[in-house]
Amino acid sequence: MMALATVEKGCVMSNRDLEHYQKMIDGDKESLEAIYDKYEKLLYSFVIKLSSDPSLAEEVLQEVFIKLWTHKAKYDETKGKFSSWIVTITRYTAIDIIRAKKNESVSLEEETDMPEQQGDSVEDLVEWKEKSSEVRKAIDQLSDDQQKIVHLFYFQGCSQSKIAEECDLPLGTVKGRLRLALKHLKKHISTAEGGIRDA
Amino acid sequence: MRECEKVLDYFNHELTEKEREEFERHLASCDECREEIEELQLLTEDLPFSTEPVDPPEGMKDRVLGAVFAEKESDSQENNVVSFEERRKEETEPKEPQPKRNNQRWVMRGLAAALTLSLLGNILVLTGGDEEVANEPPAVDSTDIVNQRVQLQGEATDASAIAAMIRQNDKNLLTLQAEQLDQLQGDEVYQVWLLEGDKPYRAGTFVANENGEGAVAYSMDDLPADADWDAVAISKEPDATSETPQGDVILSSSL
Ligand SMILES: [Zn+2]
Repeated sequence: MMALATVEKGCVMSNRDLEHYQKMIDGDKESLEAIYDKYEKLLYSFVIKLSSDPSLAEEVLQEVFIKLWTHKAKYDETKGKFSSWIVTITRYTAIDIIRAKKNESVSLEEETDMPEQQGDSVEDLVEWKEKSSEVRKAIDQLSDDQQKIVHLFYFQGCSQSKIAEECDLPLGTVKGRLRLALKHLKKHISTAEGGIRDA
Repeated sequence: MRECEKVLDYFNHELTEKEREEFERHLASCDECREEIEELQLLTEDLPFSTEPVDPPEGMKDRVLGAVFAEKESDSQENNVVSFEERRKEETEPKEPQPKRNNQRWVMRGLAAALTLSLLGNILVLTGGDEEVANEPPAVDSTDIVNQRVQLQGEATDASAIAAMIRQNDKNLLTLQAEQLDQLQGDEVYQVWLLEGDKPYRAGTFVANENGEGAVAYSMDDLPADADWDAVAISKEPDATSETPQGDVILSSSL
């Protein structure tokens, strides 16, 4: 897996992912392990960000990899990158498990402090390394209200009515506000990516 | 709410099973909603990469992969397809009872799923001191209505539990699942109580497994039908025969 860290282009990585995924489907344990090694830290960190609860993260990862291994979650390469798919599966698995574990009001009242960071390198996954600071910068460029709505919707997985309540918005305007915030975000990210490529 | 207004809640798995099915039927004929969902997927795809790295705990890989590879052996017959959006299909489809999964898998399922018999079928039920595994095959298309669910908490314990009252096929059930319980000694059991005012009613008995997890599904049909329950509580009892709480209440929640 270390060799991957030196690969520059995302497309090479996703081809490698697809290769591992297909072998894994045929029952190759080493390929699942390769996928695990590559995504462990991203998915683990991501779940902690979603749940603010490190004790849940291992359980979520286990469920995610069970879904892969038992073919309950199927990747279709025509619908997007493997990395997007696996984080999506992870997010939904986390949302469902968090909801199962906690009374909704408890989970939502919990403050989502930034978890303690234990390492500042994202060496295992080039895509993470490439994107992390630009996505964070793009988020920083959003207004506080926009950051809040994105956080509640995506990272907290809140319902529309909960978002309306938290953001003091009429229910009917939540979707529009959220889309606007996400479009701003995407624009900032594309601009940053363009900047990197031009440089 | 109009169907088109459910896009966000669909995306965040906030819809009930029934609402989800309705919405998916709507999706088949509404280009706008389909596009909005694809757009949400696209617009949020970079967000996970904003995550700050956190080092996983020691030995996590071995534990996770160990559990994953163990799963394949008991699950080899299953081949449920979950779409890109990873709907919770596998949790809604009836399953054969799978003894190998009993010990811990149920805790990891969604609560919505935990409240269906397909899961209760995997829960170790202890009644009157006799241990038995409830192994009824799940009812297909059973209609579960969650009337209420609460999280139980206690002052002096790390343990926690989630209880729910559900109505299924004209039966009222109280389901409860607890974790991080202290190990029991001898004949001790965990007793669930429903309280109306000050009066406690027995509502299921369970023990903790070696991981400190326990669960019970209790038919409420033996309880007064017109009761207006005020609280649910768990106490540690010397044995499974206490008619009123003898031990301390470790977890409780008002209803
Ligand atoms: Zn629509």
